[in-house]
Amino acid sequence: MVFKCKNCGGNSVYSPEKKMMYCPFCDSEKSEERQHEHAQMQLCPNCGGEVTYTEHTSALQCPYCDHYIILDERVEGAYAPGRIIPFKMGKESVKALIREKFKKCTFAPTDFLSEVRLNTMTGEYIPFWMYNYHTRCQFQGEGVKRRVWVAGNVEYTESSYYQVVRDMSIDFEGIPADASVKMPDGIMDLLEPYNYAELVPFQPEYMSGFLGEKYNMAAEMIENRAHAKMESSAASMLQQSISGYSSLTPANRSITAPNPGTEFDLLPVWIYRYTYKDKEYPFYVNGQTGKIIGTTPISAAKVWAYGATLWACLTAIIAMIGCMVM
Amino acid sequence: MEIDFKKEARKQYLHFFRFWFIIVGILLVVTVFAVIGKSMMRTERERHNSQSPTERVFDYAEVLTDQQENELRELIAEKEAQIGCDLVLVTMRQPVEGSEAKETYNYRYTSWELNMQDIADDFYDNNAYGYNAPHGDGALILDNWYEDQEGTHLSTSGRVFERFGNYDIDAALSWVDRYIESDPQKAYSACINYIADRMSGHSGDIGTSILMLAAIVPLIVAGVFVGTHLRSKQGKKTTTATTYIVGGKPVMNQQRDDFVRKHVSQRRIQTSSSSGGGRGGAHVSSGGHTHGGGSHRR
Repeated sequence: MVFKCKNCGGNSVYSPEKKMMYCPFCDSEKSEERQHEHAQMQLCPNCGGEVTYTEHTSALQCPYCDHYIILDERVEGAYAPGRIIPFKMGKESVKALIREKFKKCTFAPTDFLSEVRLNTMTGEYIPFWMYNYHTRCQFQGEGVKRRVWVAGNVEYTESSYYQVVRDMSIDFEGIPADASVKMPDGIMDLLEPYNYAELVPFQPEYMSGFLGEKYNMAAEMIENRAHAKMESSAASMLQQSISGYSSLTPANRSITAPNPGTEFDLLPVWIYRYTYKDKEYPFYVNGQTGKIIGTTPISAAKVWAYGATLWACLTAIIAMIGCMVM
Repeated sequence: MEIDFKKEARKQYLHFFRFWFIIVGILLVVTVFAVIGKSMMRTERERHNSQSPTERVFDYAEVLTDQQENELRELIAEKEAQIGCDLVLVTMRQPVEGSEAKETYNYRYTSWELNMQDIADDFYDNNAYGYNAPHGDGALILDNWYEDQEGTHLSTSGRVFERFGNYDIDAALSWVDRYIESDPQKAYSACINYIADRMSGHSGDIGTSILMLAAIVPLIVAGVFVGTHLRSKQGKKTTTATTYIVGGKPVMNQQRDDFVRKHVSQRRIQTSSSSGGGRGGAHVSSGGHTHGGGSHRR
C-alpha cells in the first residue's frame, strides 16, 4: 500500500513532530488516502519503477520517486503487529542529538557529523517479540552474621547462624527480543528500555515515511534471549531480598517460569550508517527516547596531529619557563 | 566537498588549540624580554667590604702548585664579581679529632665534624670575609689532608647560608669528593663553580630537571590526552532488574530468617612501634655569627 495525499497526489508520511499524517509536498495534514496493491509487488505503485526488497521487508522507499511503500501482505494476517510505538523523534531532532553527543569526539573524522552524512540516516520499525512471564523464585540456605570487637589486646568474633527461606512470585511483562536477523542482538538490548505506555494498536499509517520489517523468526526461536533476561532479573531480586549476612550458603535455589505469553510489536529505531576507510560504523538511536548506541570512528591523521601539537606546545612552554627560571 | 572537509578540519584544529597557541605566543614574547633583561642585568656587583684580606686561596697543606693557586684565584675573582659573594679556599694538614688534638690545638670539641666546622667558621669570621659587609655573604671551603682525618667542610654565610640547604651543601662537597684524589684543583674548581651557579640562579640540577620535565611531562600528557579521547564507549545498559517487573517489585510469599546458633572466637593482637629523626645545618659560630654548612669525611 501507499499513502497518497488527496490534495496533491504526493506521498503522505507519518510525522513524529506533528504526531499525525502529513504531506511534505503541499503541507496538508491528515490528507492521506490509502492505495492498495495486492499482487506480489515488484513495481512501485506510484511511478512504476522496479523495486527490490528482501524476504523480511514490510516497508521500503522507492529508489526512483522516493515514495514510501508498505507491503500489505507483510503487515496483515499472521504478520500483523499487535502494537506499535510510533516514532517520537524526527530526523532533525535525532541529528541534533547525535551532534550533541559526539561533538567532543576530537578524533572523529571531520565529515562524521556533517549534514550530508547525517542526512543518510533512516528510520526503521524493528519487529520485536514481547514475552510475559509468571516467575517463581525459591531459596533455602544458611546465612552467617559476623560481629567483631576488640577488648584490650584481644579481638573477638561472634558468628550467628540463621536458616534463610525465601519464596517470591514475579510477573514480568514485555521483555523484548528483536525478531530481526540483520539487527545485532547486543545493540538492540542496549537500546532498551522503551516506554510501553506509548504503545498503541498497530495502524499502517505509522509506517509511512519509514522502513520496516515483519518478524524474521518465530517467537519460540528467540525465547531463550528473553528467558535469560528474566532469569538474571529474578536472580537479582532474590539476591536483594537476602541482605545483612556476611556469608550465605545455599542449600536449594530455583527460578522457574511456565511457557511465556508473547506479543508481536514494532519499535522505532533510527539508523545512521557511517563508512570510513571502507569500514562501516553503524549508529542506532532509540526512536522514542533518543538513546544512542554506537562507537565513533577514529581518524589516525587527527590523532597524530592533535597529539603532536599538544606535545610540542607543552615542550615549548616548559622550555620557555626553564629559560626564564635559569 | 573533500576540500570543504579539509578546510573544516583545519578550522576545528585551530579552534581546539587556540588557547595553547596564545599561551605559547605570550610566553615566547615574555621569554625573549626576560632573556634580554637578564643578560643586561648580569653586570659585575660592587664590593662593600674593605676589612677582609684580598687573598682567597690558603694552601697550608701544600697540595696545589703556584700556577694552580693562581688559576683558582682568577676563577674565584671572576665568580665573586658575578654572584657578589666571597669565596675562600683553605687547605690544611692538621689533626682535628680526639682528646689529644683538642688539648694541643685548644679545640672546643673532640669530634672531627664539629672542629672542622669551628675552624672554617672562625677563619671566615676572623678575616671578616663577606662581599657586602664583614661577616656577610660568602662561603669557605676547608679541606683537611691530615692522614686518616681527610675531609672537607663547607661554611656558608649571609646569602649563601640562606640559599644553601642540606641538598646543595651535599652536592657542592660531592664535587670535591669526586676529583680530590686525582686532581685537587679540579675538585675545588668544580665546587666553586657549583656554588657560583647556584647563587647566580644557574644550576646543573635545575637545568637537568627542567630538561627532564620538558622531555617526559609533555609525552605523558599527550599520551593521556590521546588515550582519553581514543576511548569510545558503545553505550551503556540503562535497564535495571525491575524494568520489566509488573509493579516494579516482586510479591513475597514467604520470608524467614530463623536464628539457629551462635559461636564466639578470639585471638590476641600483636603490636609494634617505630621512631625516626632529622638533621639541620644552621648554627652560631664561637664569634657569634650565623653560619650554615656541612662536612664530607673521606
